[in-house]
Amino acid sequence: MENDRQSVDSLLPIVYQELRRLAASYLRRERPGQTLQPTALVHEAYLRLMKDKPGRWQNRAHFCAIAAHSMRQILIERARARNAQKRGGPRHRVTLDEGLLAGGERSIDLIALDQALERLATLDPDQARLVELRFFGGLTVEETAEAMEISPATVKRHWTIASAWLARELEGNSQA
Amino acid sequence: MNSARWQQINHLFHQTLERDAGSRESFLRERTTGDPELYQEVRTLLDSHARTEGFLDEPAWGIAADLVLGDAAESLTGKRVGSYRVLEEIGRGGMGVVYAAEDERLRRTVALKALTPEYTRDPLRRERLTREARAAAALSHPAIATIFALEEIDGELYMVSELVRGKTLRDELAAGPLPPSRLVPVLVAIATALEAAHEQGIVHRDLKPENIIRREDGQIKVLDFGLAQTPSRPNVQASTRLTERGVALGTPGYMAPEQLSGGDVDARADIFAFGVLAWELATGEHPFGTDMAAVLARMTELIEGRATGLSRALPFPGLDRIVRRCMRARPQERYPTGGALLADLRELERSGDVAPATVPRDAIWWWQFHQTAMAILNGVMPAAVWAVRRWITLPQGSFLFLATLMLATVSVTLRLNLLFTSRVHPSMLVEHRARLFPAIVFADALLAATLLVTAARIAGDHDEVAALILTVAVVILASLTLIEPATTRAAGLLPGGPKAG
Repeated sequence: MENDRQSVDSLLPIVYQELRRLAASYLRRERPGQTLQPTALVHEAYLRLMKDKPGRWQNRAHFCAIAAHSMRQILIERARARNAQKRGGPRHRVTLDEGLLAGGERSIDLIALDQALERLATLDPDQARLVELRFFGGLTVEETAEAMEISPATVKRHWTIASAWLARELEGNSQA
Repeated sequence: MNSARWQQINHLFHQTLERDAGSRESFLRERTTGDPELYQEVRTLLDSHARTEGFLDEPAWGIAADLVLGDAAESLTGKRVGSYRVLEEIGRGGMGVVYAAEDERLRRTVALKALTPEYTRDPLRRERLTREARAAAALSHPAIATIFALEEIDGELYMVSELVRGKTLRDELAAGPLPPSRLVPVLVAIATALEAAHEQGIVHRDLKPENIIRREDGQIKVLDFGLAQTPSRPNVQASTRLTERGVALGTPGYMAPEQLSGGDVDARADIFAFGVLAWELATGEHPFGTDMAAVLARMTELIEGRATGLSRALPFPGLDRIVRRCMRARPQERYPTGGALLADLRELERSGDVAPATVPRDAIWWWQFHQTAMAILNGVMPAAVWAVRRWITLPQGSFLFLATLMLATVSVTLRLNLLFTSRVHPSMLVEHRARLFPAIVFADALLAATLLVTAARIAGDHDEVAALILTVAVVILASLTLIEPATTRAAGLLPGGPKAG
């Protein structure tokens, strides 16, 4: 496990660079209004990096875990930069689809979410990882189950409580 | 809270959730007697779950796209940048936002591309960009949007180039494929641009419908030679080649296999992209399919050499042949440069629609005859060596026979395979032949050598037979070096030779 972690750390910058570049080019290519498909992005990054040095990735799941973590880093870094630019202004909020949240609250504070996820990791590292794979990596329930070597039913159970917990944390945060 | 407590909360949360809505409250109360904090935790989580079902269901990338687009979001419209007055935003390219701007010194309207911070902050990328701009600025051609300057203003980089107003080929494709009358002139124009660039050693690297504009007066303009870079020359140090190896630049779907796998890229990568583009303009569809997953799957196959051709033919046979040659997986089988491509396109333009994409009958007949003759000659040789082997000291004689048998088998099999291909899959013949030919040369050369040794061993005692075998060896060698290239070239089967038609 220690070994695994280490290899993830050394691979992260490579995946991060690639994803960042790909994401930017994707977004520019896409017609306005279209959303980015994280799975297509991961697939493409995987394809390119596999060609580069096939032996580096243990398997697709290994790659997905790193990719999800990279995506999280990219977004959080960007959100922080955006906030810094606005110096003291309101935090950048990412707008969610209308009606997704019934309470009238329609945005997610990505930085607060990132911090909440860190707290969740101290309670249950697996759940935090699962949220990272699904929300930042864009993996489906089945893909997440495969990557984490647990059953899809367990993924769903973890997801249910983790997302409820995170939503509660974010609400508390915005009230404070 | 600690992990153990969290596990407890998890357990109770799911237990409660499994009950029907009416009995949850009482169940939870009962289970949390004496622990109001636990009740509070689970209760609020259940509330949160009920209220925010679907929270986080859409992945972050979908909803935070603007974050990745980053600083480009801030528009320069109406502002003054150095001596340029920014008039309006006209598009977003691969490297930044493009504006129409007035150059107040020269009193002309230009395209001003504000490059994204990734290009300017990183000194490596910045230097590469400067080189590329310098190279591309040397290009002056009616079908290429001229680069005027790369300016640094207040720490930001701006690429100033000829302003081209019109519709991109991507826009035109939205209305379906181009009619043949418009298609060929467009392709010729793009090929002239590539020819001019390739002559200067400049590779576009990102040719695609988005990068080509039909100006309002009809002139075709290829944009964004900005990603192009001068190919490395042997005397240039590796350190001055600034393209990070293994990082492919360009757009998947138009990238040649060697480009997608991060290998060295030259003019032939543009030729590949041209092939994809031509196919798309002729049919209205991308040759590898409509969605990204299909395109990527086909590209992977191409890289791995699993798929070579295109499944269906273009309606215009002349163009089909040109496009197929552009899109070969192996760069050495494509047109070497835009110039060679242009020559074929011009011929296509002249002849209206040209002959069907098959090899001419007479020329291929000689090639087929030659293959048959060589297969028969080589096939007889093991029998000949078998007959004379007892005149040679035993182990050596057997060895020579076995070598002859093995080499002749390889040669005959490969040649018959080519004959079969020429009959059944003529469109694949050029590629197939190029693939098998090295093995044939190898087998035939060794066969001739084995025969020469055999002849030498029996000379003296059996001069007549030795002379006969020697003759066959010479015939095989002559055929390999003289006759085979001649018949192959005449049949138009050489990837780099004149095409059949």
